[in-house]
Amino acid sequence: MIYLDHAAATPVAEKVLRAMEPYFARDFFNPSAAYLPAKKVAADYIEAKGVIAHAIGAKAADLVITAGATEANNLAFTAVGGKASKRALILYLETEHDSVRRVAEACGGLAIRVLPSGVIDLADLRAKLTDEVEMISVSLVNNELGVIQPLAEIAGIIREVKLDRLKRGVKTQLLLHSDASQALNLLDINVARLGVDLLTLNAAKVYGPKGVGALYVAHGVRLSPLTVGGGQEKGLRSGTENVPGVIGFAEAAKLAKEHLSGNRKKYTAWREILLKNLQGYELINKKHTLDNFIVVCYNGIDAERLVFLLEERGVYVATGAACAASKGVRSHVLAAIGLSETQIAGSLRLTLGETNNEEQILEAAKIINEAVEIERKRLEI
Amino acid sequence: MSKPIVYVGMSGGVDSSVSALLLKEQGYKVVGVYMKNWSQDLPGMKCPWAEDLADAKRVAVKLGIDFLVWDFEKEYREKVVEYMLREFQAGNTPNPDIMCNQEIKFKLFYKRAMEAGADFIATGHYARAILGGSCRLFSSSISQELNGGGSPEPSPAYIDLLRAADENKDQTYFLYRISEEALAHTIFPIGDMKKPEVKKLAEERGLHNAYKKESMGVCFVGEVGMKDFLKEYIDTQSGEIREIESERVLGYHEGAVFYTIGQRHGLYISGGLPYYVVKKDIGRNIVYVSKNLNHEAIWTKELKLKDIFFRANSAELRGRQISVRLRHRAPLILATFDGEKLYFESEIKRPASGQSAVLYNDEICLGGGIIAD
Repeated sequence: MIYLDHAAATPVAEKVLRAMEPYFARDFFNPSAAYLPAKKVAADYIEAKGVIAHAIGAKAADLVITAGATEANNLAFTAVGGKASKRALILYLETEHDSVRRVAEACGGLAIRVLPSGVIDLADLRAKLTDEVEMISVSLVNNELGVIQPLAEIAGIIREVKLDRLKRGVKTQLLLHSDASQALNLLDINVARLGVDLLTLNAAKVYGPKGVGALYVAHGVRLSPLTVGGGQEKGLRSGTENVPGVIGFAEAAKLAKEHLSGNRKKYTAWREILLKNLQGYELINKKHTLDNFIVVCYNGIDAERLVFLLEERGVYVATGAACAASKGVRSHVLAAIGLSETQIAGSLRLTLGETNNEEQILEAAKIINEAVEIERKRLEI
Repeated sequence: MSKPIVYVGMSGGVDSSVSALLLKEQGYKVVGVYMKNWSQDLPGMKCPWAEDLADAKRVAVKLGIDFLVWDFEKEYREKVVEYMLREFQAGNTPNPDIMCNQEIKFKLFYKRAMEAGADFIATGHYARAILGGSCRLFSSSISQELNGGGSPEPSPAYIDLLRAADENKDQTYFLYRISEEALAHTIFPIGDMKKPEVKKLAEERGLHNAYKKESMGVCFVGEVGMKDFLKEYIDTQSGEIREIESERVLGYHEGAVFYTIGQRHGLYISGGLPYYVVKKDIGRNIVYVSKNLNHEAIWTKELKLKDIFFRANSAELRGRQISVRLRHRAPLILATFDGEKLYFESEIKRPASGQSAVLYNDEICLGGGIIAD
């Protein structure tokens, strides 16, 4: 098996698995229980949260643990539409994942355009940043293209606008939210440097367990809970804590930080090898992209057929995002960067990761070339 | 000479997959088509269309054949779903699969395939279409007369619709209303096979869906059942459940249209022997039930048919003893038919109105009709 779909899911790292194991059957206690063994579990949980928070330059108390990134994104949007604002407006990047797009659309969001490179059109952002805007949501890394957004620059614009609002006595809040699910092991994320008020993290994309995510919430940002009950996570996310999940997330975050620069070098080299050995493609994500993301287009070929041909040959790749593709809808992301229908249909997403090695990359290139050739022959092109 | 072209309807299931495989191995130029008839999720009901489409495409890619998706959602909604809802609201129990075959697969799909250059269409139904017919007794002019004139042009050949080799899977019950013209251009590649053979062949050829769970009937009704589906479209309205013998009110229901004659579940009446639905008064929204399995409302020796569809050879049936199927996979029952009513030798359990009675002479499907009130 050659797995080239690390943006969809990553296997749980051996160390992560080992760290989680004791918390299933041995240290299983409810952190809210009164006796000492339970208190020990509660302490471990808080410590783990601290490790995750530390990885993004925050404190344990700034994090709300959720069951994944989708929930964290949904929770982030509860910051909007408080009592003061009746006409709250949300801006979101048109290439956002559905877990942002669909929520933003539901609260009357307005999409910001991207440039053909996939990077945010800052002029469009400025034009749409009216006094009603309460929140801007821009993912740090796009999940289909790997394009990295200039968050610090966006935060700079926000600071200017906030200052101007203050001068004019406009009281509307203005928050920056970013989904950083894809990036923890490849970018040095620091909430202060990025200037975000809300940041979504996801364990499952960085060799941690599925169903565990976190929302960083800057001091002073007010959220409303989506689930109520026992009042865990400062009342923002009731439900008994997912102790093994958070322990695993912490271990994954630690590993991500340790291997950050090594990973980048390794993936950059593999990316180059792959691009050199593949044939007859057009590279879609040329610039501003995460080192492990490769989107190639075979114009005139149905990439979905390639996925099945490759699957038979033991190579696992994706077309658009896994969820978009399984619904049979064309990628809104590839459409947003101006690709034609046939270019979108012919695009493959290859995402490298820890399951790969150089030999595999060479082998994958060969098998992909063969699959493309099979389709070209069938179509006589 | 170029290869004959077959457009095969591929649902993602093993039957249509093996059909495509066989056609390819027989030397046809095969084009797989996924008919997208319904894709809407309803609360608590996930429509499996995207997974089915992927399964169909995966097989097409493995076979190296072209693959297309044809969107018939609008037509399916108009011709099948709306018909179904209308019939239920009138107190009947329609069969949407029969309508789907008549209007979508063997009309729209057939026409579009022919326009696209197909010589034949194919489906994964368990049925057979035999050229010439083996035991014809009457000429086609009579059948055309019976069908109200029809096309004056004689069809190129007489094609009989025959029951499948696998009696257990025979699907001619769902096919009795498909047009002669479409049937004349249809191949049923697995009609001569038994289901276990189909599965085995799929496994041998490495088709991933060899053991995929079969979809039952209407896909969008799926696992939640017809009643829950109907509730999305038809408002509930509470009414009385009465015992038919005594007119006594035994309980209440959410709408008589949701009940079918013979049904004994979902009545919310407790105690003793089970009650059966024996009659529905749609106008007054009353469901009549009985504990008496021998109640006269349940049993009958004759059935009146409407919207009768005669197949090419159907003149055979007048006054003769024929076999009748009242439900898919139900045993064949002997009867005679006078062109309007079926007469049975002994009493049968009355099927719900709106269901079909399909008529056979030995293996040949003669046509059938919709059971009237």
